[in-house]
Amino acid sequence: MLKAIPDLEGILTKTIDRRAILRALIVLLVAAGAVTAMSLLGSASAAAATSEVAAIAAPADAAAAATSIAPTEAEPVETTSASTGSNRVVQTLVNGIVFGLLLALASVGVSLIYGTTGLSNFAHGEQVTLGALLTYFFTTQQEVSLPLIPVSFSIGWPLIPSALVAIALAAGTGWIQDKFLWSPLRRRKVTIVQQMIVSIGLSLAMLNFIQWWFGAQRVRLTIISDERIDMGLFDIGQITLISVVISLLCIAGVGYFLLRTRLGRATRAVSDNPALASASGIRVDGVVRLVWVMATGLAAVGGILLALYDSGTAFDVGARLLLLMFAAVTLGGLGQAFGALVGSLVVGISVEMSTLWIGTDLKYAVALGILILVLLLRPQGILGRAERVG
Amino acid sequence: MADHPFASVPHEPGAPKPDAIVIADHVHRHFGGLTAVDVEHFEVQRHAITALIGPNGAGKSTFFNLLTGFDKPQTGEWQFNGHSLVGTSPAKVARAGKVRTFQLTKALNRMTVIENMRLGAADQGGENLFKALVPPLWSTREKEITVRAEALLKRFKLWEKRDDYAGSLSGGQRKLLEMARALMSEPEMIMLDEPMAGVNPALTESLLDHIVELKNEGVTVLFVEHDMHMVRRISDWVVVMAEGKIIAEGPPDTVMSNPAVQDAYLGAHHDTDLSEIDAAEEGK
Amino acid sequence: MEILFDALAEVFAPTTAAFALAAIGLNFHFGLTGLLNMGVAGFMLVGMYGYAITTQAGAPIWLAILTCCAAAAAFGVILGWPTLKLRGDYLAIATISAAELIRYLGRSQTLQPLTGGSTGIRGNEFKFTFEALSPFPDENITILAWTYHGSLSSSWWLRVVAWAVVALVAFLFWQLSRSPWGRVLKGVREDEDAVRSLGKNVYSYKMQALVIGGVICGLGGVLWSLGNSVQPDSMGRPTTFWIWTLLLLGGAATVFGPILGSILFWVSLVLVRQIASTVIPDTWLSPIELEPFSLVLVGVTLMCLVIFRPQGILGNKRELALNG
Repeated sequence: MLKAIPDLEGILTKTIDRRAILRALIVLLVAAGAVTAMSLLGSASAAAATSEVAAIAAPADAAAAATSIAPTEAEPVETTSASTGSNRVVQTLVNGIVFGLLLALASVGVSLIYGTTGLSNFAHGEQVTLGALLTYFFTTQQEVSLPLIPVSFSIGWPLIPSALVAIALAAGTGWIQDKFLWSPLRRRKVTIVQQMIVSIGLSLAMLNFIQWWFGAQRVRLTIISDERIDMGLFDIGQITLISVVISLLCIAGVGYFLLRTRLGRATRAVSDNPALASASGIRVDGVVRLVWVMATGLAAVGGILLALYDSGTAFDVGARLLLLMFAAVTLGGLGQAFGALVGSLVVGISVEMSTLWIGTDLKYAVALGILILVLLLRPQGILGRAERVG
Repeated sequence: MADHPFASVPHEPGAPKPDAIVIADHVHRHFGGLTAVDVEHFEVQRHAITALIGPNGAGKSTFFNLLTGFDKPQTGEWQFNGHSLVGTSPAKVARAGKVRTFQLTKALNRMTVIENMRLGAADQGGENLFKALVPPLWSTREKEITVRAEALLKRFKLWEKRDDYAGSLSGGQRKLLEMARALMSEPEMIMLDEPMAGVNPALTESLLDHIVELKNEGVTVLFVEHDMHMVRRISDWVVVMAEGKIIAEGPPDTVMSNPAVQDAYLGAHHDTDLSEIDAAEEGK
Repeated sequence: MEILFDALAEVFAPTTAAFALAAIGLNFHFGLTGLLNMGVAGFMLVGMYGYAITTQAGAPIWLAILTCCAAAAAFGVILGWPTLKLRGDYLAIATISAAELIRYLGRSQTLQPLTGGSTGIRGNEFKFTFEALSPFPDENITILAWTYHGSLSSSWWLRVVAWAVVALVAFLFWQLSRSPWGRVLKGVREDEDAVRSLGKNVYSYKMQALVIGGVICGLGGVLWSLGNSVQPDSMGRPTTFWIWTLLLLGGAATVFGPILGSILFWVSLVLVRQIASTVIPDTWLSPIELEPFSLVLVGVTLMCLVIFRPQGILGNKRELALNG
C-alpha cells in the first residue's frame, strides 16, 4: 500500500516551518477579507456593547421553561474593553495574542485527545468552566453550597491555593472520565461516532450540573482589579500579563514534554499510529490516561486565566468557547498539539482584530466563518497531513 | 481454457489484443515522490479471464482504482468499449458496464442479503426521489429485480440467507454476496480485487467455478490475485506488474518462467522456478 | 393529579409536535443516511426567520411557507455543497458552526432591522396570518381537562395543524424509507464506496436527504415559533442536542421513533420537574434549580442510550447497532 509519508517527525521536532507560517498568514488575510466583506452587511456599529443575557419572551406552555436555558447562548467570552492604548490596531493585535494564548491552553487538550483516541470531545468546554468555577468555589468569600445538600458555607482560601486545588480536581475528573467512561467504551469497540454523541450527552449533563450547582449569574474570581500598564502603543493589565506568562510557561511545558521526554514521544507515537505504538511496547492505555489528565488540567488552567482576564466567569463560558476551540484545533490540524497553538493564535488575532471593521457582536461569527472555510478548503488544517478526510 | 484469441498475441508488456474491451495509455499516478503506477500501454481482451499479478506494492490495487474511477491519475487515457472513461466518477464507470469488487469486502452489513442484491440493480426508477413517492411506478421493476436477485442468490448458494443481515454472514459468504451483487446490473466487465483473500479452501473451488461461469456467459473478467493456483487454474492471460510498471504478459504457464517475473517476486531466489515453490507450498 | 394532567398535556402540545417534526427531519439525515447533522436548530431557525420575515413584509401565508421551505433548502444546499464530502466528525463540526453562525447573525445588532436582534420577532408580528385561518372560536375553550385558546398562539388550532403536519410527514418518511430511494440512502449509510461501485451518485443522494430533512426541520421551526416566538437563543446547541436525544430515544430510522421520542421526552421533562419539586424539599433543590437538574438527566439519558441501547425503543437492534 503506497502512501505519501511526509516528514512528520520533522514537522514535530522543528517548531513551525516556514510553509506553515505562510499558510497561517494566508488564512489570516482571507479571514480579514471575509470580515471586511461582512462589514458591508447593514451598518457596522463600532464597539457596540454586547448584551450579556438575552431577554426571553415568555411563552405560555411548558416549552417556556426550556427556553430559560437561553442564557447559555449569549455572546462568548467578553474581552475587557478594547482600547486605551494609543494605537487601536496594535491594541487589538495584543488582545488577540493574549486571547489566543489562553484559548490555546484549552485547545491543546482537544487536540491531544483527538490525536490519541480519535474522539472529538464536545465536553471540553465544560472542563474549562470547571476549572474557573471550582476556583471560585474555594476562593470566594461568598457562601457556596453543594448540589442537593442544603448547607451553605464559605471557604475563602486565597486565589493561588484555590486555583491549584481546582486544577488538581479538574485533572482528576479527566482521570475519572478516562478510567470509568472512555476506556471501557474503547474496549467495547464503540465507534467514534457513538463516542462523540456520548461526549455531547456528557457536555449537556455537565453544563446543566454546573448551572445547577453555581447558578446562572456571572461571578468574579478576585476583587483585585486589573491595573493597566501603559506600554505606549497598547496597554495591558497586570494580571493579564501574569496570565500570559503562566500560559507561555504551560505551553512551553507541554512542548518540552512532547519533544524531549520519553513519555511525550510515546504520546506522539500513539497519536500517529496507536496499533504500531502498542506493538512497539508502549502502554497505550497509560498514555491515553495521562493525556486525559493533562488535557483536563490544562483546560482548567485556561478557564482560570480566562476568568481573570475577563474579570468574571459563569457556568457557560466553556460552552461558548467550544466552537472557538474547535476552530483553533481544526485550523491548526486536528491531532497536532502545536497546531492547536498556531490555530488558537490565528483565531484569537482574527477575532479581536475583526472588531476594527465589524461590530463586536459579530466577532465570533468571524471565528466560525474561519472554521467553515478551513473545513472546506483544507480540512487537515495548517500542520496536518493531506490525507483524505472524506 | 479457450485461448484461441490469444494465439496471435505476443508475450510482451502492453501487447495489443484482437478484441480489446479496455485500452489504457500513459497512465501515471504518483503520491508525493513515490510512483505508484506507470503503465505505458495496457489492453484487456473481451470475454476472457485476465489475471493481474505482482508482488506487494506493485501498484495493482492503485491501477484498479484508477481504471474504475476511484482514483485520479496525473496523466493517462483509457477507454472502455471505445468510450473514454478518463475523469469519470466511479458511479458512472459502473453504469457504463464495468463493475468492481473490493479487497476488503464491502457488504452492506446492516441491510439484508436480498436488499443488498436489490441495491445492485440498475434502472430502478424508484431510486429517483419523486418516483419513489408513487409505488405503482416502480413496483413492477422491483419484482423483476427481486426475481433476478433470487436467481443469483440461488446460484451462489446464498438463497437461505436472503433475509439475514449481511453482517451476520461469514467472510467467504460476504465475498460471494459482493460478487453476486456486482452481477445484478448485468455488467460487461467485472473487476475482482483479490477475490480469494480470506476465503477458506472449501469455498475457493466454488468461487473459481463461479468465475469461469461468468466467462461462459460472456462477461469479461479482470482480477488481481496473489494465489498462483487460482491464477493458473482459470486465467486465459496473465499481466504482471512490479513497481508500477507492467513487466510481462502471457499465458499463465509461460509467464511464470519469465526471468523478469521471477526477479520481481523472488529477488534473491531468482533462479528458483516459481512453480516449484508453489508446488512445495501445496505440499505443506 | 394535576401533575398527571400537566404531563399528559405535553403529549399533544404543539412544541412536542414541532420537535417531533424536526426529529423526522433529522431521521432523514441520520437515521436513513448516516449524516451527522449537528445543526438541526440552524435549519429550524432559518425556516422560522423565512416565515416570519416574509409575513412581516405582508406576504400571504402560502408564500411565507414557501419561503420557509426555500430558505431551509438553500441553507441545506449551501451547507452540503462543500461538506458532504467530509468525514463524519468533520461534518458534525461544520454543521454545528453553521447553525451557530446563523444564530449569531440573527441576534446581531447589525441585522437587527431584519431579524429583531436578540429579542427576535414578536408573536403579533407574524402569527396573524396563521391565526386568521382558524375555524375555532376566538376564546378559551376547554376540552376534557385542558384549556387553551381557540386560535391565538399556542392554541387548539395550532395543535390540530401541527399534529396533522406530523402525521403527513411521518407518512412521507414511511413511503420513502421503504422505497428504492430509501434503500440507496441506507446503503450510503453503510458504505459509500460500495454504493458508488453499484452505479449510484452518492453525493446527489446525500444532498437530497440533507435538503428534504432540512426543509422538514424548517417547518418544525415554523410550528414551534407559532406557539412561542422567533427567538435565536432558543434555537441553539441545546435544542439540537435535545432533538438528537429524542430521536435516539424513540429509535432512529423508524417511522414512529421521532414521535414517540418527542412525546416521552417532553412528558418526562415535565414529570421529573413536577415530581422533583414535590418530593425533594426546596432547600435541597430550589425552583430555579429544577430546570438544569432535569436537563442533567437528559444529558445522562443521551449517554446511556448511545452506550446501551443505540436503537432506542422502537428500533431494530441489528439494524441500528451504531457500531455496525
